[in-house]
Amino acid sequence: MKRLRLWPQSLVGQIIILVAIALFVAQAINFGLLLRERNRLTLTAQTAPGVYRIVDALDSRGEPPERDRPPRARFLDRAPVLTGEHRPDVERRAMVMFADVGLPVRSVQVVEQDHAMPLRRWERVRMRAMGDLRDGPRVARLTMAAEYAPGKWVVTQSRMGDRPPRFGGWLIWQTLILYAIVLLPLLWVGRRLARPLGQLTRSAQQFARTGSADPVEERGPGDVRQLTTAFNAMRSRIFAMLDEKDRMLGAIGHDLRTPLASLRVRAESVEDEGERARMSQTIDEMNRMLEDILSLARAGRSTEAAQKVDLAALADAVVEDFVELGSPATMADSDRAVASVRPQQIRRALRNLIENAIVYGDRAHVSVVREDGAIRLAVADDGPGIAEDRMEEMMEPFTRMEGSRNRETGGAGLGLALVRAIMAEHGGALKLANRPGGGLEASLVLPAS
Amino acid sequence: MSEKPHLLLVDDERSIREPLAQYLSRNGFRVTAVESAAEARVRLNANAIDLVILDIMMPGEDGLSLCRHIRETSEIPVILLTARSEETDRIVGLEMGADDYVLKPFSPRELVARIKVIFRRVATGGQRVTAPDGSTYAFAGWLLKTQERVLVDQEGVALPLSTAEYNLMLAFATRPNQVLSRDQLLDITQGREANAFDRAIDNQISRLRKKIEPDPKNPTLIKTVWGGGYTLSADVRKL
Repeated sequence: MKRLRLWPQSLVGQIIILVAIALFVAQAINFGLLLRERNRLTLTAQTAPGVYRIVDALDSRGEPPERDRPPRARFLDRAPVLTGEHRPDVERRAMVMFADVGLPVRSVQVVEQDHAMPLRRWERVRMRAMGDLRDGPRVARLTMAAEYAPGKWVVTQSRMGDRPPRFGGWLIWQTLILYAIVLLPLLWVGRRLARPLGQLTRSAQQFARTGSADPVEERGPGDVRQLTTAFNAMRSRIFAMLDEKDRMLGAIGHDLRTPLASLRVRAESVEDEGERARMSQTIDEMNRMLEDILSLARAGRSTEAAQKVDLAALADAVVEDFVELGSPATMADSDRAVASVRPQQIRRALRNLIENAIVYGDRAHVSVVREDGAIRLAVADDGPGIAEDRMEEMMEPFTRMEGSRNRETGGAGLGLALVRAIMAEHGGALKLANRPGGGLEASLVLPAS
Repeated sequence: MSEKPHLLLVDDERSIREPLAQYLSRNGFRVTAVESAAEARVRLNANAIDLVILDIMMPGEDGLSLCRHIRETSEIPVILLTARSEETDRIVGLEMGADDYVLKPFSPRELVARIKVIFRRVATGGQRVTAPDGSTYAFAGWLLKTQERVLVDQEGVALPLSTAEYNLMLAFATRPNQVLSRDQLLDITQGREANAFDRAIDNQISRLRKKIEPDPKNPTLIKTVWGGGYTLSADVRKL
């Protein structure tokens, strides 16, 4: 399943995203609660003036109206007809408030009108001074009618306070500030955690690629430091083992070559010339097997440095060496094909393929082709090819082709295994395929530079 | 050399030392065989030795150290015997001043052939080809790297050489602006006299020209000298 691209793969990224989401959810809940409380307060603030006026009007019923003040309430003997936006929320709040002051109100009707209500002069001045003239003065007024006795109504009007400013922006700012306070230190801690982990990864990858790796600096939080220490210890243990292996192989090589050398010298004293030739051939064979085994065991620990090499020239030189010895090898004209490789190793791999082609397939025809991003060194022969189901097997060590016609001893069966090891070290591949026209084509596929 | 050349064979392995000494004696050399570097030092002082065959891996003082000692005190040629094939060994050996090295197990015939090549060079007053391995020659924008047997072009891309091409290129690089006849080239590159396969050199020359000449039909680096042979017409610097 393909993951969403927004979801980060790294440990630190995931922690930060999780914390950010958690913070946001907490903020949203907080905001919701706040908004509810605020709405309640606003409702109370809108309802209260009307309620006071009605309470006041009912209290001072019968008293003569003050001359210089317009009457705040009208009394009606029937239900009023109110126009405007019906406000059931204010009605409910008003009923609660009347109950609180102990006034037996039977029912309440409230509407909100958006026009009317002339502004007081100072308000007009203020609005003009502020340059705030959008839509003209828009202050709403609330008309509240209360049925204080059956069929008896009192109606009053009050101005609604300005609507409180929206506070969505406030939420965003608060969240951003919170993010800065929480996420920045988290990022810092995360990087402190991630850097040694990244170094560990790089070191392990370097080891897989080159067979050597630098020790990782021990830093970061305690548990990461412990991991690094353990990794470094493992690294030096592996190196010690590999060095030990190299030393052992060197010793084996030396110890086996000395008696071989002795045999080789003694073989020269054998009178019979045919016998002498066969003996030295056998000794050479043993030496070659020894050489192959040692090379395979050392694969991946090459001391040779990689450099840019023209593989066409390399193949040409290798083929030329075979031609010089009278072997049936040919080279197709090939264009320059540059790759970064260890030339001695590639020479060796190609030599193995050509030797195989000559032994099992009568001749070797070598070509070098560039194909998208890769370079293919192909060795084609005229032999019987290999059964498809045995191809994989042929690349395993100590597998030999049966029915080798030209040679009694087919070597140790390490040739292709060694080629494959060399290819693996170069990030390339060994490919075997039967040719349509008969014969086998073995190719080295290397990444081009 | 009217007398038989006197060889000093130094190898701690009796199983190699004795049959090899016999073989060399049968092939026209006077052989003194010893089993340690200490003994070899005594013999070197007491006898007139013409060439030393030296095993690298020996208990006590090893072959490389003895080789360095011989080079510091005399001009006696040295052939190293080594059981290890790691390239470092070869280079170190040649830097110590050895003239040649042979990998165990070796064909005794090949060893004799190499001894003869060295004697022929000494007899003709040829220079010692010191340390052909591990050095770099620069000429006309090209680098010849002897350790890897490659030519490196101006873009830094290595062109590997075949054995024959390499030997020929090295012969030119170590003798710039000298006219080298086919016979000389054969002798230098393969240690053999010219024979009916004389054309081999011409083939290799044309292969080399294809690699390094801007226009192989009109060579400016490896020039043909009429009636003489070939010459590398370039200044060579050894790096």
